[in-house]
Amino acid sequence: MSWHRFFRRRQADAEVQNEIESYLEEEAAENLARGMTPEEARRRARIKLGNAQQVRERLWRQNSVVVVESAWRDLKCAMRTLTRTPGFTATAVLTLAVGIGATTAIFTLVYDVLLRPLPFDHPGQLVMMQEVVAEFKDIYPTLPMNANHFDMWQRNSKTIQAMTVMAEGSVPLGLGTHPLQVKMVSATPGFFAVFGVSPQLGRPFTAQEDVPGHDQVAVLMNDLWRTQFNSDPRILGKTIRLNGFEYTVIGVMPASFRLPYAGDEFHTGSDVGRPTQVLVPMAFSKDLLAEDMGDFNYYGVARLKPGVTLVQANAEINALEHRIQVALPADEKGTLSAALTPLQTELVGNNRKPLLILLVAVAGLLLVGCMNITNLLLSRAVGQRQQLAVAAALGAKRGDLIRMAMRETAMLAVAGGGLGLLLAMGLIPVMHRYMPQSLSYLGTPHVDWVGAGCALLLALAATLVAGLAPGWMARRMNPVEAMRGEARMSGSGRNSKKLRRALVGLEVAVSVTLVLMTGLLMASLIRLMNIDRGFDAEQVMTARIDLPAKAYDNHTAREGFYKRVLEALGRLPGVQSAGVVSELPLNGDAWGDSARVIGNTQPYMELPSEHFRWISPGYMETIRLPLTEGRYLSASDEGKNVALVSENTAKTLWPGKDAVGQQFTRGGTTEKPFTVIGVVKDARTVTLAKRDPMMVYMPYWFRADIGGALAVRTRMGGATMADEVRKAIWSVDADASVPEVRTLGGVVADSVANRQFEMDLLLLFAASALLLAGLGVYGVVTYSVVQRQQEIGLRLALGADKGSIYTLVLRDGLMPVALGSVAGVVAAFAMARVIGSLLFEVSPYDPVVSGMAIGVLMAVGVLACLLPARRAVAVDPMQALRTE
Amino acid sequence: MPKKDQSDIEMLRGTLDMMILRTLVGGDAHGHTIAKIIERGSEDVLEVEQGSLYPALHRLEDRGWVSSYWGASENNRKAKFYRLTVAGKKQLLRERDRWRQMTRAIGLVMGEESLG
Repeated sequence: MSWHRFFRRRQADAEVQNEIESYLEEEAAENLARGMTPEEARRRARIKLGNAQQVRERLWRQNSVVVVESAWRDLKCAMRTLTRTPGFTATAVLTLAVGIGATTAIFTLVYDVLLRPLPFDHPGQLVMMQEVVAEFKDIYPTLPMNANHFDMWQRNSKTIQAMTVMAEGSVPLGLGTHPLQVKMVSATPGFFAVFGVSPQLGRPFTAQEDVPGHDQVAVLMNDLWRTQFNSDPRILGKTIRLNGFEYTVIGVMPASFRLPYAGDEFHTGSDVGRPTQVLVPMAFSKDLLAEDMGDFNYYGVARLKPGVTLVQANAEINALEHRIQVALPADEKGTLSAALTPLQTELVGNNRKPLLILLVAVAGLLLVGCMNITNLLLSRAVGQRQQLAVAAALGAKRGDLIRMAMRETAMLAVAGGGLGLLLAMGLIPVMHRYMPQSLSYLGTPHVDWVGAGCALLLALAATLVAGLAPGWMARRMNPVEAMRGEARMSGSGRNSKKLRRALVGLEVAVSVTLVLMTGLLMASLIRLMNIDRGFDAEQVMTARIDLPAKAYDNHTAREGFYKRVLEALGRLPGVQSAGVVSELPLNGDAWGDSARVIGNTQPYMELPSEHFRWISPGYMETIRLPLTEGRYLSASDEGKNVALVSENTAKTLWPGKDAVGQQFTRGGTTEKPFTVIGVVKDARTVTLAKRDPMMVYMPYWFRADIGGALAVRTRMGGATMADEVRKAIWSVDADASVPEVRTLGGVVADSVANRQFEMDLLLLFAASALLLAGLGVYGVVTYSVVQRQQEIGLRLALGADKGSIYTLVLRDGLMPVALGSVAGVVAAFAMARVIGSLLFEVSPYDPVVSGMAIGVLMAVGVLACLLPARRAVAVDPMQALRTE
Repeated sequence: MPKKDQSDIEMLRGTLDMMILRTLVGGDAHGHTIAKIIERGSEDVLEVEQGSLYPALHRLEDRGWVSSYWGASENNRKAKFYRLTVAGKKQLLRERDRWRQMTRAIGLVMGEESLG
């Protein structure tokens, strides 16, 4: 057999016919020569030839690809039967599509975030370097790196090929008014070796370029080069202005390179996750390098030598860290250790658990979908028995029967799977848009074929198992009996009915678990949003400000700028009050320090640490953070060393005493002390989930940075105010960049964006599961009502009232729902420990939420039962009895 | 069509291809002639069923051992002629060797001495 012949079978057949004809003629001619009459000659020839038709058929079959041939026929048959029941077909295909689509999309996301190797050479060698200072562990479990320690590690490590430390910032590019704000990362020259990349144009940083004075060179990221410099191939050697300083462009990175930045986990502002646009060398001054307990500020990444394990590297670096610790002067004695962890783990961070929960949830949804399909097909199978019986009576073989039963389901699986894949392709970009920003370094994920394959396989398995059932039933079926009538068959369907009930129960169980989990997360989110934050976000407008570093390189200039902006804002008609702060509420915290109560001579490292912020007069009034003692900062305090502390700080530093009037220094013993003028309430300004740690508020005339934020309480609010705020800032200095103006309410909502994202997805899954479970119940009950039509008719005829019929149907339908609900709640409780850490002030065993989840399912169940019940009651008793 | 012993047919099925190829050594022939030659050559012991002949011919053609063309028969009728190809000749030699080995082997087993 050849494909060639397969496609020209008709022609071949015609030829065979000719050939047979010529044979007949030859034979007849021979017979004629033997002296027969022409008729006899032809008759004999025919006899000799035998069944010409059989020869043709045999050749036709010989030229056929049997599998293709019968598959084509099956396809046509399946299409015909499926289009005859469009409702069933649509439900089945859509259920499969939603299940497969959602599972594929979530799996793709999870695979991308958790499993896909980072897009660098030998990504397994990349580790994040962090330090642990036991004394700070209560506020900072791990710290970014210290420059001095980095330098020491880099000079001495033998297990690490290359290491780099980085810091990020948002800086104006170019000169003139409202310059473009770009994200700049400063990195030590090891950067290129660590990530295993080199610029596509130009060169990486040299080892000399990390020295102050030689560091005015920049490597552009591909995107910035394309958009801002028009892909200028002669860009090398040109001068650009960053932060007001001149830099020479020495390179352009390849487009494929994306820098994952897990820099500061406390920083949750809006530009986290914004892609890096320009790289400049990190130049540590001699003084900074000499500070052995200076700032822990730098994001460190290293590449291990091939063959070195994480344990070996950790051991070596910790030994180095110990040497540093031993050499520390007495007043800075801290307990140091180092923590090297796989970079990927650090990047995924807190997102791991929610993602896994989403994966489990979506798998649950797929499971419910598959069970629903099985259920649909089973009920259909009972209907098909008659048809199969006819086929069996006409002599169809067992294999044919099974194939008959399977072909539709296979078709459904393929159609649903295809549609599901399309859905996933559409869903993934949408999900990516709503994905937590800290994960956006990944770029847009693409459909993962492993995930799609898994989902497809599962759906196929479910449909095929369901499809086998009718064939299996037909196997034991006596065709004569099956054909004798419907009446006999209702009894033999009992097994399948039991199976269908079990399936519905299981569907309900999975749905309850999903609904319960969603309910718990929703309750957490509601509680989190309604918790007493301690400050009032209503009608407060905020603006973040980045000042160009060169023009504002001294404190006087910065203080003057903020002061003049506040004055300009104060002149606006709609403004009630305004203030400046180093970090807006819920935007994390970057300034940790230790306060020393006057008279305390403990070593610096043993002092408790506080979160520091600098504020202007008016800030506390603007966000309405209440005072418990003393007074707020006022303009008349200008220049004085005064400060506000939180209740927590007051109680810890001066237990049992009135904090107002007490004095402290910032760790030192000789500097001029600060006097506490007021105590403010403990609020939730670092993160909503936790009461603030110790807070200290310093006046902005003591410290003001180039990055700050404005808070403005307005009488009207709204978008017009946003423009007014911008104009007021630019009226003072048009070079100041204002990356973001938004309401404080929006800032609060942003801080729970991750939770919101997870919850929205879960809600979607839970709702889909509910719908499917409802459909399942509806299907089973409707079927059973139709089967019991005669019985119900009889009951009605004998005088049963409608209420008792409703009870009958509801009891029948709600049994699996009730059992499934209980099983689902038990399953959810069993998983309590997993979900517990994602909840906020809600117990995973919360009775109200559990009760509501069961209630929702029961309500759906009742609804799904009522429709068929109404139909049952509407039955005309005579009609029902007559159908026998 | 006379009913034949089942074993005859089985026998033929294995060797028909080989015999067809052998017939074509003497020159191109059409289906009827091929059947005739085999029947005559076997002193009418073997009867070639058309139901086997044409599928066999097509099979041989698919494998490239024979080629076919339409021509005029001895009686000047249109007929499909089959010709042995080079590959067909090689195949024939292979099959003939195999056949000889087989018959020798069977002969050895069955023996010459009387079975009485």
